[in-house]
Amino acid sequence: MLQFNLNFLYTIINLIVLVFLLKKFLIKPVTNVMEKRKEMIEDGFRKAKEAENDAMDLKKQYTDALSGAREESARIMAQAQKDARAEYDKVMQKASEDAGSLMESAKANIRMEQEQSMNALQSQIAGLAMSAAQKIVEEKSGQVKDNQKIYDEFLEEVGEDVHGSDTEK
Amino acid sequence: MDQLNCKTVFEVPVLGGISESVVVTWIIMAVLVIASILLTRNLKVENPGKIQLLLESGISWTNDFFEGILGKSNRRYIPYLTTVLIYLGVSNTIGLFGFKPPTKDLNVTAALAIMSMCLIEFSGIYKNGVKHWMKHFAKPVAIVAPIMVLEIFIRPLSLCMRLFGNILAGFVVMELIKAFVPLIVPIPLSFYFDIFDGLIQAYVFVFLTALFMTEEME
Repeated sequence: MLQFNLNFLYTIINLIVLVFLLKKFLIKPVTNVMEKRKEMIEDGFRKAKEAENDAMDLKKQYTDALSGAREESARIMAQAQKDARAEYDKVMQKASEDAGSLMESAKANIRMEQEQSMNALQSQIAGLAMSAAQKIVEEKSGQVKDNQKIYDEFLEEVGEDVHGSDTEK
Repeated sequence: MDQLNCKTVFEVPVLGGISESVVVTWIIMAVLVIASILLTRNLKVENPGKIQLLLESGISWTNDFFEGILGKSNRRYIPYLTTVLIYLGVSNTIGLFGFKPPTKDLNVTAALAIMSMCLIEFSGIYKNGVKHWMKHFAKPVAIVAPIMVLEIFIRPLSLCMRLFGNILAGFVVMELIKAFVPLIVPIPLSFYFDIFDGLIQAYVFVFLTALFMTEEME
C-alpha cells in the first residue's frame, strides 16, 4: 500500500507527456479560437467606432455647410435688398431730376416761345401800323379808294400775316 | 485488503514492475487526448456549437482562475496547472468506472507533489533570480531560515499526503460500504466520496500549487 518505487518516475514522465499532449490538442486550439473571436469582436467594435466617428464628422461638416449657406443666403438677400433700394433711390432721384430739368426746359421753351411770339406780334403790329399809316397817307394823297376796300385789304394783309406766322410756328 | 494494494500489472525486463496506477494513468491519458482531438476537431470562430461553447467556457474558466492567482505575466504556467487539474479531476472520479484511482497510489501523488515543488521553486528563481531566491529564506529575520528551507519540502509533502489520504480514505470507505450494503446506500455516498471529494481535492491541489508559486514569485 505504501511502497515507493520506480512507478514514481513513470508517473512524472506520464505527466510531462500528458501536459504536452493536452497543450497541443486541447488548450492551444481552444485558446486560439477564443483569441481569434476576441480579436474579431474587438475589430468589429473598432470598425463600428470608426464608422460612427466618420458619420459624426460628416454630420458636423453638413451642419457647418448648411449654417454657412443659410448665413450666406441671408447676407446675399440683405445685400440685394440694399442694392435694390439704392438703385431705386438712384432711379427715383434721377427721374425727379430729369422731370425737373424737363419742366425747366419746357418752361424755358414756353417763355422763349412767348417772347418770340411777342416779338413777332410786336413786329407785325409795327408793320400793320406802318401799312395803315401808309394807306392813310396814300388815301390822303388822292388815290381815293373806297373805305370798304381799304378795310378789306387791310384785313386780308393781316390775315395772311397771322396765318403765315401760325404755319411757321 | 486486496483492493488496497497497488498490484503490479506486468513486468518490463529493465524498468521493473509497472503498477496498476501507471496503467490507469495511461488509459486516462489516452482517453483525454482522444477526447481532446475529437472535441477540438472543427472549432469555429463564428457560430460555435454547444460542445465548443462548453469547452471554451471550461478553458476560459481555468485561464481566468489561474490568471487571477498568478497574475497576467505568468501565463506560461497555466497549461501545466490546467492539465494537472483535468488529470486529477478525472483520476479522482475514475472510481465510478470501476478503475482504481491512480491517486490512491502514493507514487502518483508524490510525483505530482515533486513536480509542484520543482515548479514552485523554478517560478521563484525564474522571476527574481537565484540571488533573490537564496536571500528570501532569511526574511523577515535570519533565524527563520531553517524553517523556510524546510518549507520547500513540507509544502509538497502536505500536498502529496492530503491528496493521497483523501482519495485513499474515500476509496476505503466506499469499498467497505459496498461490502456491507451493496444496494442503493452507496449511491449518495458515492456522490460525496467519488465525485465531490475527488473534484475538491483536484481543485485544492492546483489552487495551493498556484498560491505557493505566487508566494514564491513575490
